[in-house]
Amino acid sequence: MKNPIDARIQQLQTLVKGSSNLHINSALLDYSGIVEYYAQELVMTVKAGTPISEIKKQLKKNNQALSFYTDNDDMSIGAVYANGAQDISDSVLGVQIINGTGVLLNFGGQVIKNVAGYDVARLLVGSKGQLAMVTQISFKVMPDTYVGKLNAAVKLENKSVLRTEIENKLKQVFDPRGVFQ
Amino acid sequence: MKIIQQLLTQLPKNIILTGEENTRPFECDGLSVYRQKPLAVVLPQSVEQIKQVLKICKAHNTPVVTRGAGTGLSGGAMPLEESVVLGLSKLNKIKSIDEKRCLAVLEPGVRNIAISEAVAEFGLYYAPDPSSQIACTIGGNVAENSGGVHCLKYGLTVHNVEAVKMLTIDGEELILSRQDEGLGLLALMNGSEGLLGIVTEVTVKLTPIPELARVVMAGFDSVRDCANAVADIIEAGIIPAGLEMMDSFAIEAAEGFANVGYPLDAQALLLCELDGTKAQVQAELESVLKVLSGASSLKVSESEKERLNLWKGRKSAFPAVGRLSPDYYCMDGTIPRRHLADMLEKINELSQKYQLRVANVFHAGDGNLHPLILYDANVAGELEKTEEFGTEILKLSVDMGGTITGEHGVGVEKLNAMCHQFNSKELEVFHEIKAVFDPQSLLNPGKAVPELHRCAELGAMHVHHGKLPHPELERF
Repeated sequence: MKNPIDARIQQLQTLVKGSSNLHINSALLDYSGIVEYYAQELVMTVKAGTPISEIKKQLKKNNQALSFYTDNDDMSIGAVYANGAQDISDSVLGVQIINGTGVLLNFGGQVIKNVAGYDVARLLVGSKGQLAMVTQISFKVMPDTYVGKLNAAVKLENKSVLRTEIENKLKQVFDPRGVFQ
Repeated sequence: MKIIQQLLTQLPKNIILTGEENTRPFECDGLSVYRQKPLAVVLPQSVEQIKQVLKICKAHNTPVVTRGAGTGLSGGAMPLEESVVLGLSKLNKIKSIDEKRCLAVLEPGVRNIAISEAVAEFGLYYAPDPSSQIACTIGGNVAENSGGVHCLKYGLTVHNVEAVKMLTIDGEELILSRQDEGLGLLALMNGSEGLLGIVTEVTVKLTPIPELARVVMAGFDSVRDCANAVADIIEAGIIPAGLEMMDSFAIEAAEGFANVGYPLDAQALLLCELDGTKAQVQAELESVLKVLSGASSLKVSESEKERLNLWKGRKSAFPAVGRLSPDYYCMDGTIPRRHLADMLEKINELSQKYQLRVANVFHAGDGNLHPLILYDANVAGELEKTEEFGTEILKLSVDMGGTITGEHGVGVEKLNAMCHQFNSKELEVFHEIKAVFDPQSLLNPGKAVPELHRCAELGAMHVHHGKLPHPELERF
């Protein structure tokens, strides 16, 4: 994920630094496209604003597929990640993010086995754009013959007091100024 | 000591070990070059007792090092000075098995292989299979996010854990499950190396035992041809259950030890396991044999006995190498598969440079490398030379787009290498995450994530792409 930082990323960093209140979505990101895809690696790295349909189109050329459920292919991978649950988490390998103070950070990577550092790339799945601006995502793909029927993940809403407290503190770690709303 | 007195008065005496002799067996984990005796070892028999230990340690500001079977390979369970080791191996009950939903609920000290043994009667098994699986515990597997030979197809620990119950340093229980709405806290716990909480219960996903498994053994005249074959198999749309590669030195060592009929004239050997229904295996086998048509030798297992025999050589590679050298050092970098051949060439160059022999054993399917560097700890300076060699391999792994550790963890061993993979801002995030769970830094402190000054001191010598790492820090 250590690609040269492009101009759009620098603009986004400046935007975050200069804002007190941001709602992240694909239009705001305006950052889309496939960064790296080697079929034999079973790994794809994309900019977070890339629509699922575009990803699926590229994968199809190599008889490969996503191994998590998506119900709306117009959505961006970043949105699916932000709203996601364990199913997408299983495929995620790495992320590039801009934190709430505008700093660009990389976690995880582009390999399937990786236990260096806490698994921030999977921690932020389901973070709903509240902790950081996710700019780039690497995920595992599979030959389409190995992907069975996919279903939407079941989610249980009730959170314990302790869990809520931990999540609030984690928000502070990534977005101490409370920029991301 | 006051804390030992308190442990002895508040807990049953037979679960507490103190003193030089009694704590010695716990002074290291599977990485025995790092040793340290703790103040005491406590082997609780209930979650209540764990809470008690945490309470006492917290009150005395004493670090707690949680330990499973102590088979880890990065010093993650090595005691710290003035710490209490919390050994969970006595909590080894399988609480329940739900064969219909393919789930098992386990205490943290249940051994990995014991899960598969217990559910075999239902035609199920637990897929992640680290090589220490006869001894290592499920709690330790969660702490390390352990892998094994079958990860490419069946995933790591994180993919096979449905839920965990854990205690925070305050003794509060947190239940994390795959169904939770919100942040990926369950994934965060996997691979957190005992720094965030104490796992007290694990629910794992069980996998149906495949109808058939067959292994293809292919010998190659060159390492590059073998590495290319790995990429070709994946590109052909096959996900083998296991895809392992060995170089000529490893082949020779394994054959000398296990005598299983490996081709001694091959420069590299590939073991490719296919599993599933008979029809699936047959179809995959045909594709794989087509891809491997350039191999110098080919053999397909015709019986379960033969299959296990072919694996026996690979599985005995570590002890086999151990026989050839007083000591060896096992690396664990992972790289994108397309760089496998380049990496092997680099390792051979480094082997010449450092004048240390290397046997290469790779989980080629997922790009996870286990070069074994042979050395003699009794020769002055040889361990240091070996570590320097290892660090070069890890840096190469990162530069190729990979990671310093695929499945063994950072522990104490790879703290320096972490400085190469992450910048100071990223490391700061790790420290802050720890502080959310453990503000006093009592759970396995100092492991897994290096202090920033450590990286700054190292980094002064290492300039990456013309940029000084950690420029914001003062240098000494």
